Amino acid sequence: MIELRNVIKKFGGRVAVDDLSFTVPRGEIYGLLGHNGAGKSTAIGMMLGQVWPTGGEVKICGHDVQSNRRAALMQVGAIFESPVFYDYLSGARNLEILSTYTAPTSKARIQEVVEWVGLTGREQSKVRTYSHGMRARLALAQALLPKPELLILDEPSDGLDPEGIHEMRQTILRLQRELGLTIFLSSHLLNEVEQLCTRIAVLQQGKKVFEGNVADVKAARGKVALKTSDFGNAAKLLRERGLITATEQDKFITLAGGHSTAEITQALVSAGIAVEGIWQNEQTVEDFYLNLVKPPPVPAKN
Amino acid sequence: MFLAQLKNELWKLFGKKRTYIGFGAFLLAQTAMLLAFKFTRWQSDFERLLNGNGYLASQFISVLTVSVVMLIPQIMLLMPLYATLVGGDLVAKEAEDGTLRMFLSRPISRARLLFVKWSAGIFFAVVLVLALGLTAVGFASLMFPWGGMFVFSPGQAFSILPAHEGLERFVFSILFMAVNAGVMVSVAFMFSCFNMKPAAATILALSFLFVSMVMENIPFFDRYEDFFITHHFKCWLLIFRDPAPWSQICQSEIILFAVSATAFIIGAMAFQVRDIKS
Repeated sequence: MIELRNVIKKFGGRVAVDDLSFTVPRGEIYGLLGHNGAGKSTAIGMMLGQVWPTGGEVKICGHDVQSNRRAALMQVGAIFESPVFYDYLSGARNLEILSTYTAPTSKARIQEVVEWVGLTGREQSKVRTYSHGMRARLALAQALLPKPELLILDEPSDGLDPEGIHEMRQTILRLQRELGLTIFLSSHLLNEVEQLCTRIAVLQQGKKVFEGNVADVKAARGKVALKTSDFGNAAKLLRERGLITATEQDKFITLAGGHSTAEITQALVSAGIAVEGIWQNEQTVEDFYLNLVKPPPVPAKN
Repeated sequence: MFLAQLKNELWKLFGKKRTYIGFGAFLLAQTAMLLAFKFTRWQSDFERLLNGNGYLASQFISVLTVSVVMLIPQIMLLMPLYATLVGGDLVAKEAEDGTLRMFLSRPISRARLLFVKWSAGIFFAVVLVLALGLTAVGFASLMFPWGGMFVFSPGQAFSILPAHEGLERFVFSILFMAVNAGVMVSVAFMFSCFNMKPAAATILALSFLFVSMVMENIPFFDRYEDFFITHHFKCWLLIFRDPAPWSQICQSEIILFAVSATAFIIGAMAFQVRDIKS
């Protein structure tokens, strides 16, 4: 559904996106992560033909966005962070205005979408009377109007309260489940990405520094939590025997390659150190992301 | 589809309160001028001018005469302000608010989007001028009788016309005023297509018109007056000359249409290469 190949975008002398390539197949929920200014919104802008790439190729639904924007975006819906509407007009009028720029849309279709997002009864109210959550639902409604196959969401939970974030997350999952949409989203909320996405890419200063499945990230060998009567002695013993490589916060150990938690338990018990608990601490996307973008340590001065 | 898009663009335009600032200002200005004409020396000066030229003032201080008297300062001072205010908003305000980004995620070309917006701006210009002309006639008819028309604008027109011919010329003058307003909207629209705030687009357009007017009035530039668009704006007054200089008027109108089209094309080209980011 989305294909970026060696895409570059420069604003003057500043490189905003540097040689970015990825592919999003049909039916996937794909997350783009990165700090502020990493190039996420620029990448989305290039997918929607709002930002012209300096180099490379962007294809949506098999069509080149630069040369065949109309065909590329025919079945694409998009939501941007902090959605903006014409506050002095009703929600329904806003939807009607936006729909005329895609294809003829019947009033029945508008009503259908209004019902789907749960705005029934408020569609004739002026948008200025809407809460953040209702604006987010209206944004979703406008994105669904053209019966999209692909939804592009730029920070969809931005500005929402916890209930709103939860509702948006459930809606995104429902969109994929019930309508079979392919969803591409950028977000700062790592927890959200972890719960929604099947695959992620991480941008840092315009460069892709990681791309992979969320399941693989979570399954990656991480830290092991160890609860003993004497953590200090236990750590010393395990180090001496070459079973671990590091410890952290008097709570976590990092296993040396090829060793298991069973070996750790056996070693400690045989040395007379009671093991109260030992378990694999599953890595979260947040842990993974923070490790990935962590600046390298500054070498100490002599 | 174009008509549906234009209809919605007009909904947006006429749904905003600031679109009506111009209409409100014109109503206030007309009321003030009508009262000033009726109750100050303005009317007696006019009567003296007519009597001095051998005409019976009572026959020519009429609805049409007073309407044109009221229109002259408004067209010179207020019209550019309100036309450029709306023209400067057309693209820049939407870019500033963030709504433009939503439109540009739709499968519509930028040129088409701009053409719809520009058409809405031209429609606004026509409606503004029509409202101005109709309210001028309406207000004047409250206090003055129907009759012959006297138009005096130094350097442009000094004419005495019978009522039916005066009305005919008045309709033409409204038409030419609408073209002027359309050009003002187009110039502001052109600036609005560049990456700038709506206020900046309005100020630049007003500055452009002001510089044109100032230069046109510098004696040195007399021989170059055809190069200043404000010179061509005078068609709406030239139509009251007897006989009307039709060839000069037609030439000016063609130039004004060309200026509008050029402004649209420059704006569209600038907009086409822009990166639209939030």
